[in-house]
Amino acid sequence: MQYLFSVIDDTAGLATPEEMAAIDVFNDRLQAEGHWVFAGGLGAPIAATVIDNRGEATLFTDGPFVESKEHVAGFWIIEAADLDVALKLAAEGSKACNRKVEVRPFL
Amino acid sequence: MVASLTRRFGDLDLAEEAAAEAFAAAVERWPADGVPPNPGAWLTTTANRRAIDRIRRESKRGDKHQEAQMLYDDDPPEPLGAVDDERLRLVFTCCHPALAMETRVALTLRMVGGLTVPEIARAFLVQETAMGQRITRAKAKIKAARIPYRVPSAEDLPARISGVLAVLFLVFNEGYLATGPDSDPVRQDLTAEAIRLTRLIRALLPDDGEVAGLLALMLLIEARRIARVSSSGELVTLSEQDRGTWDAALIGEGHQLVRERLAARVAPGRYQILAAINAVHTSARDVRDTDWSQVVALYDQLVQLDRSPIIALNRAIAVAELDGPQVALAAVDGLEDKLAGYHAYHAARADLLRRLGRSQQSRAAYDKAIELAGNTAETAYLTRRRDQLG
Repeated sequence: MQYLFSVIDDTAGLATPEEMAAIDVFNDRLQAEGHWVFAGGLGAPIAATVIDNRGEATLFTDGPFVESKEHVAGFWIIEAADLDVALKLAAEGSKACNRKVEVRPFL
Repeated sequence: MVASLTRRFGDLDLAEEAAAEAFAAAVERWPADGVPPNPGAWLTTTANRRAIDRIRRESKRGDKHQEAQMLYDDDPPEPLGAVDDERLRLVFTCCHPALAMETRVALTLRMVGGLTVPEIARAFLVQETAMGQRITRAKAKIKAARIPYRVPSAEDLPARISGVLAVLFLVFNEGYLATGPDSDPVRQDLTAEAIRLTRLIRALLPDDGEVAGLLALMLLIEARRIARVSSSGELVTLSEQDRGTWDAALIGEGHQLVRERLAARVAPGRYQILAAINAVHTSARDVRDTDWSQVVALYDQLVQLDRSPIIALNRAIAVAELDGPQVALAAVDGLEDKLAGYHAYHAARADLLRRLGRSQQSRAAYDKAIELAGNTAETAYLTRRRDQLG
């Protein structure tokens, strides 16, 4: 079973060196224990472009698809047996990156 | 049966439907064919077959079908304790921390308590369709997010049990102090269901002190139910209750549980301390015999565990009996920031001000308490008290 951990950020700042170090430790653990699938940090929402090609012309919209105070700053995709395992990992991930984390199952 | 089917098939919806179909089949067949020698086993076997038929029919997933078939064919008859284990798993699934509190309450009443959706909707004064959706959504989340169907590991168990107890206490409190202008002041259906479920948890986890504590607490409160509301529908405070109408059997059982916890010599949790406070009250034949120093000492212990201002308020009310209303009022006034929106804060102040002869201030506090109170019996009591002020 795979889960997406979205890192929810309400600041404009990037991770501090301390946070980066803690994230590295967490990532090492994910890999060592076989939970790791993929992870990455994302550029700021101002760098986003929304594309809509459902109609005749391709539409490009500058900015994220939804304007809000909070945005997704990064993510993990992890492998876990069930939600209890995923929630425990997410709690550690939240501590490591010092931000809120949303856990969502893949279909 | 739903618990057992859920474990087998890992799907609450499927389990419920299969169980319902088995009962329907029994209603149809038993009058004609006669009741089978072992009705319980007949129902279980039928439900299992229906569940497999359903999976086959819907052919949701090949592997699930195979898995179910395998489980069904190879499973030896279950030992007696297994049923309890499955109910316990079901309780932990329904009270999972990833579900919203109100969802946990609804799901527990539906899946463990066996209440119908209309019954639960009525209990919490919401529309049936809304309650149905809440339960459906919860079941969908359990399945999609794979909320496990098991008893948590030893390291997580204390926190998870406390989550289960919080759900049961919430059900009990809603029964004990029902809210809403059209609601009965005491909803015995809810208090009784909460006690029944807590007894079940106690049977499943007999060594847990807080489970015993919560059961004792509920029993000692339930014992006073009849005395708590007058014939005219007004709340009767502890000091004015006719103690002869208290339920001696429930008090006896509650006291026994409290003694058992004292003998265990393990530091008590909040439910055990609350139960002990209620044991002190229910030990006094007359309110004047109440051992208030013991009550205050227990509250002092409770404050160490639970910094909630509501506990501090209740402690102050006990202090009034020991050190007088002036001392208590100072303590209550210190809680204004946190409790200004809570009716019991204003009711406590009103009572202390009345005892100090400060009628005008007392009246204002009663007004505020009446405005905020949601329970019909409480409103009636507060109104009478206010109108009796000189």
